Amino acid sequence: MTSIAVPYDQILQRRVLIIDDEEANLLLLETLLKREGYSQIHCLSDPSQAIAKLVEIEPHIILLDLMMPDIDGYQLLDAFRRHSRPDEFRPVLVLTADTTLQARRRALSLGAKDFVSKPFDVIEIALRISNLLETQILYERLRHGSEPAADAE
Amino acid sequence: MTDAPARKVGIGRYWADLSLPFKGLVLVALPLVILIGSLGSLYIASDAEARAEDDVRRAFAIQRDIYQVHALLAEAASGVRGYLLTDQNRFLEPFYKAERELPLTLARLDEAIEDEGVRREFDRFLEITEQKQAGLDALIALARREGDRPARSDAVLSALVANKAVLDDLRSQIEEIQRQEGILLDTRRARVDTVRARFLALTAISAVVGLLGSLTAVFLFSTGIVRRVRMLQVNAEKLQAGEPLNPFPDERDEIGRLAKKVDHASELLRARERDLREGEERFRLVVEGVRDYGIFALDPEGNVTSWNTGAERIKGWRADEILGRFFGTFYPEETRDYLPEEILARARRDGTTEDEGWRMRKDGTRFWANVVVTALRDETGELRGFAKVTRDMTERKRAEEFLKLAREQAVAASAAKSEFLSRTSHELRTPMSAILGFAQVLELDREELSPTHQTSVDQILKAGRHLLSLINDLLDISSIEAGGAELKEEDLSLNDVLAEAYDLSGPILRAASLQYDLSLLPEDTKITGDRRRIVQVILNLASNAAKYNREGTSVQIIAEKTENQVRVHVLDDGNGVKEADVSRLFTPFDRLGRQKVKGVEGTGLGLALSKRLVESMGGEIGYAHRTDMSGGADFWFTLKVAQPSQTSGEAAQAQHTKESSEKA
Repeated sequence: MTSIAVPYDQILQRRVLIIDDEEANLLLLETLLKREGYSQIHCLSDPSQAIAKLVEIEPHIILLDLMMPDIDGYQLLDAFRRHSRPDEFRPVLVLTADTTLQARRRALSLGAKDFVSKPFDVIEIALRISNLLETQILYERLRHGSEPAADAE
Repeated sequence: MTDAPARKVGIGRYWADLSLPFKGLVLVALPLVILIGSLGSLYIASDAEARAEDDVRRAFAIQRDIYQVHALLAEAASGVRGYLLTDQNRFLEPFYKAERELPLTLARLDEAIEDEGVRREFDRFLEITEQKQAGLDALIALARREGDRPARSDAVLSALVANKAVLDDLRSQIEEIQRQEGILLDTRRARVDTVRARFLALTAISAVVGLLGSLTAVFLFSTGIVRRVRMLQVNAEKLQAGEPLNPFPDERDEIGRLAKKVDHASELLRARERDLREGEERFRLVVEGVRDYGIFALDPEGNVTSWNTGAERIKGWRADEILGRFFGTFYPEETRDYLPEEILARARRDGTTEDEGWRMRKDGTRFWANVVVTALRDETGELRGFAKVTRDMTERKRAEEFLKLAREQAVAASAAKSEFLSRTSHELRTPMSAILGFAQVLELDREELSPTHQTSVDQILKAGRHLLSLINDLLDISSIEAGGAELKEEDLSLNDVLAEAYDLSGPILRAASLQYDLSLLPEDTKITGDRRRIVQVILNLASNAAKYNREGTSVQIIAEKTENQVRVHVLDDGNGVKEADVSRLFTPFDRLGRQKVKGVEGTGLGLALSKRLVESMGGEIGYAHRTDMSGGADFWFTLKVAQPSQTSGEAAQAQHTKESSEKA
């Protein structure tokens, strides 16, 4: 499950933020990621807290549900984009039960890096997440020369 | 045309048929001939009179000459007697004069006398004259012989007596001649009178005849020409007035021919008028009879001048109520002040104009009208009025509004349905996501589970996946029925699509240990449809074949092309479908009792979904028992062949050329 270039441990060190109004889904993803070995998993069931949580924990990757009451995933995608720095690569993986083409297009055009329909294959999800994080690490290496990005936490 | 008067016969007919120049010639020549005739007779009469007067003059000359002969002889005799008495020669002078002049006078007389009776008397007279002369000669001779003596001999005396007797004879002869000449003169005078009387009579007759002749000629002229010209004029006036013409004599001169032509023209004119009237009548009847269109005319000021049934039906006014009224009456208050004038102005400017809007009926109710106003101009371009065609479009307007509303409602309903489907999808998938997800997580660590729990996890996963595919198919069908499924209309290569479907379904069929083949078309064909959906249909049919057939069954995908569609068959040589079940094949959730068959999974929605997919791409789907084999199923569906681009002929041509070259 690891690539040659990036040690899998480094990937598992990354901070993951999961936003979903369904507690069951939050628990599923948390269980899955814990089982994989991720150490910094943050769950959020109230999307209105999303920006605050983002600022607070500065996650490396966000798993985002689209259909939520009050504030939906599209609005959050838009907000994340506005809050991101130009040199920043913070992938958002959209997870949704809305399988329509429009939803897929809209989410990707708003900056989502990947899109997975619910119900999903747990192994597939784990792979997609690790792939995105690997890309992120390689990106950071490119930006800071060959020295590995230092992870304070 | 009424009957022509009976044709004249004889001279009248002959005269009538003569040409006009000839008639004119006759008209002028006739008095001239008569004049010349009377001049000739005048000449003859005056000649006869002149000759008669000449005769009278000659008679007088004869009388005079006869007296002169008598006078000459008497004087000669008296001279001779004087000579006898005196012997003086100078007394013989008359005698010599008579000797000289008598022959001349007698010659003149001889020439002048013509009458036979007088001629006889004249011959006697000549005789006596010569006797007298001879007597005188003899007397003179006697006297000269006797000489100069006072007394004369008896011989002389007897000669004298004899001479005297001769002279008496002569006198009596002269009287006789005079008498006869007098008779002649009287006769000739009477003849002169007669000739003069005849001349007078002749002149009078000539005058009368000439007058009558001229009158006749003028009469003939006036009857033959003037009268007919007048008739022709009358006919021409009637022609102008459009009245039937008077019958005209059938004659063959110029006027007769002209009259025929006028008559012909009048017939043509009448025929044309009749055609025109009939045409107008038909047109009027048609226009009046039209019920669906209000057709009426306006004068240049916009007042109604004609009205048809349709107008009455649409607007509620009867013709006698509306004729002469301004057409602004038909407009509702809010537009009445400006719109009528504006429409007429537009029609005047553009020739014709169309308007759509509310108009008012007689009872004040409104209707939605489509109005076409056309300016009517005569050949000089002067405005004669307007034609107005009005249609009551209220129903259409209502229908349009209803349709618009219905369309809006349909759109709203469709949006609502899509929204509902989307929500339903979300609501069903979200718990499924948790169920399947946790079951998967458990399965990942199945070594840590007891065998019983392992079986439980397997069952959860199996049932969950089945439920998920059920949800997927159901939502698919619903979204197609809601019109919300995005089916693409792309031009595809049939062989590519078949190959893709074959590749995707291959593992399923091979897993079921079936023999699986694909037959591509020898010439690829462009079809129209949604690639993903076509593949989905073939997958459904192929996986059905895999589910319901024994091991070793042969499954085959083949395609056949007809003129404008392609038929794709998924064939197998298995048991086929029972006749009684065929009609239920495409019914949702109807698995023909096979859900009880061990090991056969399925949602019961595959065929129903396939049917909807094929139909929404404009095709058909069906089942047939195979007849070419001992048995087996033939599931088929049709696809539309792509139409060559119709926007450009050249493109189509190019396409055609390309296809041709590809075929080559």
